[in-house]
Amino acid sequence: MALQLTDTTAPATAAPRRVPGGWTFFVRAPFILYAPAAMFLAAFFLVPLGLVVWTSVSEPELGLGNYAEFFASTYDLGVLARTFRTALIVTLASLVFAYPVAYVAARKGGMIGAFLLGVVALSFWTSFLVRTYAWMVILGARGPVVGLLVALGVEPAPQLLFTTFAATFAMAHMLVPFMVLALYAVMRRIDETHMRAAASLGARPWRAFATVYLPQSLPGVLNGATLVFITCLGFYVTPTLIGSPQDKMIAGRIGQEMEQLLEFGAASATSMILLAAALALFALYDRFFGIERMWR
Amino acid sequence: MTMSRSTLVLAVLVVVLLAGPMFIVVPMSFSTAPSLEFPPPGYWLGYYRRVFSDPNWTGPIINSFLIGLGTMVLSMLLGVPASFALARHQFRLRAVFRIIVLMPLIVPHIVMALGYYTYFGSLGLVQSMPGVILAHACLSIPVVVLTVTSALANFDRRVEQAAANLGARPLTTFRLITFPILRPAFLVAALFAFIHSFDETVIAIFISGRDSATLPRQMYNSFQMEADPAISAASSLLLAAVLAVIGARWAAALVKARSKPIGASP
Repeated sequence: MALQLTDTTAPATAAPRRVPGGWTFFVRAPFILYAPAAMFLAAFFLVPLGLVVWTSVSEPELGLGNYAEFFASTYDLGVLARTFRTALIVTLASLVFAYPVAYVAARKGGMIGAFLLGVVALSFWTSFLVRTYAWMVILGARGPVVGLLVALGVEPAPQLLFTTFAATFAMAHMLVPFMVLALYAVMRRIDETHMRAAASLGARPWRAFATVYLPQSLPGVLNGATLVFITCLGFYVTPTLIGSPQDKMIAGRIGQEMEQLLEFGAASATSMILLAAALALFALYDRFFGIERMWR
Repeated sequence: MTMSRSTLVLAVLVVVLLAGPMFIVVPMSFSTAPSLEFPPPGYWLGYYRRVFSDPNWTGPIINSFLIGLGTMVLSMLLGVPASFALARHQFRLRAVFRIIVLMPLIVPHIVMALGYYTYFGSLGLVQSMPGVILAHACLSIPVVVLTVTSALANFDRRVEQAAANLGARPLTTFRLITFPILRPAFLVAALFAFIHSFDETVIAIFISGRDSATLPRQMYNSFQMEADPAISAASSLLLAAVLAVIGARWAAALVKARSKPIGASP
């Protein structure tokens, strides 16, 4: 997606001067333009978010008890560790698979590039639910993988569905398109002549790639990795549907605390810990790269 | 340029493995098996009939369209002016406003689902369509703003100044110059806003009730119960919709590429 938030205020200064008033006022005054969105987001985004913060320190009683409980619970700490571990594995796996796709699409262009990007887009735009369902069928107890294993004489066939492995595998598969698009956005701007220059100076293809191309593609790697890692941290649907019911990830744990246990204080505290992790990563990213680049 | 054949083959292999598994939902949708069984024991069209006639499916499909349209209208009305403010004006609190606008993209949906569950409960909006629209609009506004500000960044403001110099009032300039130039960006932004809502699952699971259930919620519930195999038909239809849009864009690009040289040579 070609998305960027840019300030174009500077060239506007040459605009013809008009007497303020009438429509000119409405077009010129930024307040009238941003106030509706600001008030709407304050009422329907910030207030509910603030409510989560408040609930985390006030339910069932005022104080930091919910947080203390979280960090004292080996189960919850296990959930947190598993979430980070899974997000790391998913990020690395999707990077390994996405890099060659983005690389070929960016350097080849033409029909092959269009084909690769078209298939990536097909996967990107198809609902997570549909893709999760596909993995449910494929990894299911009566699905093709288990069928094949049984036919090959693997007895008893291993349980694939409802395991952390299934969730990790499916999430990596689902987030590859995100990674491809993030990588491609940076790679298509890498000057092709650099590689030719490297080759003409005697660098072998692999050497040219490692010293010329790879470093220039690193911003894309960082973009994609941050985006995939954070998406994975808060992933709810896939882990709850095909992951292990005992070994939850943090979003699933929040859902369980609110739906089954009706412990809204605990659910809110767990939410704040997830939010803190996501915001910290974004803040780190924003500090170095500027946050709009993320969705470019 | 020079690229080893193996790199190329690897890239093609990855995308085939990327898209291939999704297509298993198609044979499943015609399967007579009441549970997840592959390969299917027999074929029929019963699940498609159910998706189009059973109120448990038609209701959520209609709801999803209504909620998507409502979200689209609301987020465009709020997001487009906000984009102009961000792209063309300096104002106090601009940095704060920018963060607030982008924040819904960052906060995990499960956190917001929890917030809305409590908040809309107290407002009497839980399990109602307006509640879901309000929540989805918050998520779609940043999508609209990112799309429109990116178009505004590439906008040559001299054409507006020319119109003003020729005596056009600001509103006339907007109607005759600014809007037509930005129309494609507005259409893309509106489409993104709609899809963002149509696709959203987590918040819909927690705050849309039985009467305002969206299609993703209905699908999610069917997965969990493992009761309704019509899910495979619904999945196939969603996949077909995406395939149709991407196929159409491909065809359009092909036609354009083919017709160009012919038209160019007199």
